Amino acid sequence: MSTITTTDLSVETPAAPRSRRRNRTRRQIPAGMYVYGTLALLLVVLGVIGPWIAGNVTTENLGQRLLGMGSGGHLLGTDGQGRDVLARLVAGARPSMISALLPVIISTAVGSLLGIAAGMAPSWLHSLVMRILDVFYAFPAVLLAIAIAAALGPGTSTTVISLSVVLVPPIARVAETETMRLHGADFMEAAQASGAGRASIAARQVLPNVMPTLLVYATSLVGLALVFAGGMSFLGLGVAPPHPEWGQMINEQRQYMYTSPMTALIPAIVIFGASLVFNQLGDALRDLLDIRRTGR
Amino acid sequence: MTRFLARRLLYDVPVLLGVSVIVFGTVKIIPGDPVALLAGVNSTPAQKAALRHSLGLDSNVAVQFWTWLSHALHGDLGTSIAQQRPAAGLVMSAFGNTMILAAYAMVLALLLGILLGGVAALRPRSVAGRICSAISSVSVSAPQYSVALLFIIFISLDTGAFPVSGMHGTTGGGFGDLLWHGFLPALTSALVPAGMIGRVFRASLLDALGMDFVEALRARGLSPRRVLTHAVHNTLPSLLTMAGLQVGYLLGGVVFVETIFSWPGLGQLLFSSISTRDLPVTQAGVLVSAAAFVLVNIVVDSAHALIDSRVRNT
Amino acid sequence: MSSHLKVTDLHTTFGSGERAVNAVRGVDLEIEPGGTYVLLGESGSGKSVTARSILRLYQSGTTITGSVRLGDEELTALPERRMRQLRGLRIGMVPQDPTGALDPLRSIGSQLMEVLRVHQIAPDRASARKRAVELLDRVGIADPQRVIKARPHMLSGGMRQRAVIAIAIACNPDVLIADEPTTALDVTVQAAVIELFRELQQQSEMSLLMVTHDVGVAEELGGNVGVMYAGRLLETGPIREVLSAPKHPYTQGLLASLPMPGVARGHLQVIPGRPPLTGETSTGCAFADRCALAQESCRTAPPPLVEVGTGRQAACPVVNGTPVGRTATSEELSA
Repeated sequence: MSTITTTDLSVETPAAPRSRRRNRTRRQIPAGMYVYGTLALLLVVLGVIGPWIAGNVTTENLGQRLLGMGSGGHLLGTDGQGRDVLARLVAGARPSMISALLPVIISTAVGSLLGIAAGMAPSWLHSLVMRILDVFYAFPAVLLAIAIAAALGPGTSTTVISLSVVLVPPIARVAETETMRLHGADFMEAAQASGAGRASIAARQVLPNVMPTLLVYATSLVGLALVFAGGMSFLGLGVAPPHPEWGQMINEQRQYMYTSPMTALIPAIVIFGASLVFNQLGDALRDLLDIRRTGR
Repeated sequence: MTRFLARRLLYDVPVLLGVSVIVFGTVKIIPGDPVALLAGVNSTPAQKAALRHSLGLDSNVAVQFWTWLSHALHGDLGTSIAQQRPAAGLVMSAFGNTMILAAYAMVLALLLGILLGGVAALRPRSVAGRICSAISSVSVSAPQYSVALLFIIFISLDTGAFPVSGMHGTTGGGFGDLLWHGFLPALTSALVPAGMIGRVFRASLLDALGMDFVEALRARGLSPRRVLTHAVHNTLPSLLTMAGLQVGYLLGGVVFVETIFSWPGLGQLLFSSISTRDLPVTQAGVLVSAAAFVLVNIVVDSAHALIDSRVRNT
Repeated sequence: MSSHLKVTDLHTTFGSGERAVNAVRGVDLEIEPGGTYVLLGESGSGKSVTARSILRLYQSGTTITGSVRLGDEELTALPERRMRQLRGLRIGMVPQDPTGALDPLRSIGSQLMEVLRVHQIAPDRASARKRAVELLDRVGIADPQRVIKARPHMLSGGMRQRAVIAIAIACNPDVLIADEPTTALDVTVQAAVIELFRELQQQSEMSLLMVTHDVGVAEELGGNVGVMYAGRLLETGPIREVLSAPKHPYTQGLLASLPMPGVARGHLQVIPGRPPLTGETSTGCAFADRCALAQESCRTAPPPLVEVGTGRQAACPVVNGTPVGRTATSEELSA
């Protein structure tokens, strides 16, 4: 006779049946939500009040070009045209945030409608809509945005339009998938049996059920949209100089990379950081949704 | 399997058609009258009409599209305004260089992603595991232009370990030289895909290891290594799908990466064509990229169906 | 005759300390070559855990005490490497869900041949393939050549179960453990699978340990039965006898609650209360709260299994007439 207590972790097996007496110390809201939520809020606020508190950011000051960080009262130095980098960053928050948030809002509204409608539509219409979406999916997203923006000319509204177009297909797909998943649910059958029309079922039954997943997904797209918008303005398709926008600042100051690298690096890091904040927020939201779903 | 392939190819013909419609359409939505621009301010209505006719702009949109499409299928994608050369030639030679970069990046992304995801899945509570999870999380948010700059400044300029720009050394070079020049651009492009692949690999590996058949495999007396092989095999379908998606990301991202690293590919060509408003080249470039993406997806889906026969009937 | 499988005082505990779950609390059983033993019980009774503990399929944090003898070898004392050699070779397992027992991406043939090669039954591809076809034929699959190339999802449930059985017996094990092998199948297919088990046993001297909650399946199989409840055996004996004349109140209640065709309709007999969840502990007999015959002494300590007839045991002091803590005298036994 002998006792075996194994602690071999080389391959984790499916867990042995758990005790029902589980520790109820699980937190309901992931910590990430508070941290990243606050940061995200700060960014949005910055987007709103940025230009007001930044002051004059467009006047060139050739006597003060490329000052290092902290010199002459400029916390982050000056750029190749002698302008204060920090002020331009703050002012540039608005077009960057608008170009990221607005497309997500628009495409969520349009995409959800499209996806739910496709899910509730008769089969041929459903297939047709999904096929059309497939065409948009065939484009590498950046290229589609570039193609549209190149045609419409530079500007924030162009960026918003092209990003909205690019983001509609993924949202529509998620909405359609979720709608299709509900098809077999009992309450759907009940609604249909009671004579409710498709539109009313869509509005009253489908939408509330699909909304949480969609909102979480949309939040995760904000980070992506930020990066895209930064890319578009990098390519010169955003706000026209001398007005600042983060991506555009990177491209503009790129030429000074060898002598004064921080000038281009700072906006690059800012976009990276902002995208990280929103992505982590999206992850935390997703965890929250999962907890709500399974922890009930 | 051949039935699947045939069905798939057939499916993509209308998709490609739609792609060309959109590419064509993006030119048509440009505000303003191109004829007025080209003819000049002092031209007479008659001159404008003649120009319009020679450009084919007086026929209706459908005819214009058809003309454009048939030209495209014959390899004629217009003429570059900036360089007065056939756009198709410019695009195709640049595209070759982009494919090299994209392939390099894909390999790096797969290696890195599988490493990150594998460690995070198998040793979740160890230091290495946590680091890998964190790296995956962060790299997913990394914009290519930011990372490119970071690499150039902190690696190329500070350490001189890799070249700052270009595809080949000035003294010409072989494969090794290509790998050396391509490393930083490829790595830059590969970061986001590596993060995404890492996350998918970790999730599907954990999924696979938790499936019932793993216990059955152990009951048959298979060693942990064999069981792991089975599990990894089961992650391939989702891995493939994600890799396919990331190709799209790579093809788009080259616009930034090639520009910053001066890699003579389609991305750099697109960047300059946008800056110079050279529409035929922009159109041609986007069309070729999209078509390539569609083809890659067909290959990825076919490989998926080959591995997982449950998919073949959809 | 030396037994193929002999389990003595098996205890299985998941986790430790406060959160420990005692799933199996002292199980003894013995199967001779060619014999059948059915572990009968409801969900949570610990029967599946017993089967998996014999195979040592649990890892990381599970404690198994007791003795499991397979012929000459003491399984609990073996290093993992040796245990791995025995799994599939000398003990085979047929899990509950045939779909869950197969790698969905590989063909049946490749999975069969893998087992044959790992245990060195067949040295090369050709002989492995030949033996695979033989095995599929032996489990009653009509078209082995097609099934060898098929992936699991291409087969019906019954075929999949046969394929899984083929894999389990591929190396001619001494003992075959079947965990609810018929639960996921249609009734008509069930009968065929039970018949298959019987045939396989007749052809070789393979012992069968069958875990099930289905009394009908137990009856079909014959051999011995152990009725499990809350991790312990409450009654044991030859199946026919136990089912026709159950001694333990739980067994009686269980059988009485089964709807039987031909019996006059009346109220469906139920056992009041509910069975304990896995690892739910109690002092005394776990069934006491639901038992009509329960006395105070039943709740102080778990009653041991005591002889109540030839080859039969019951863990109920009221029935076997033993005050708890005392073994029965021969006069009491013959009462």
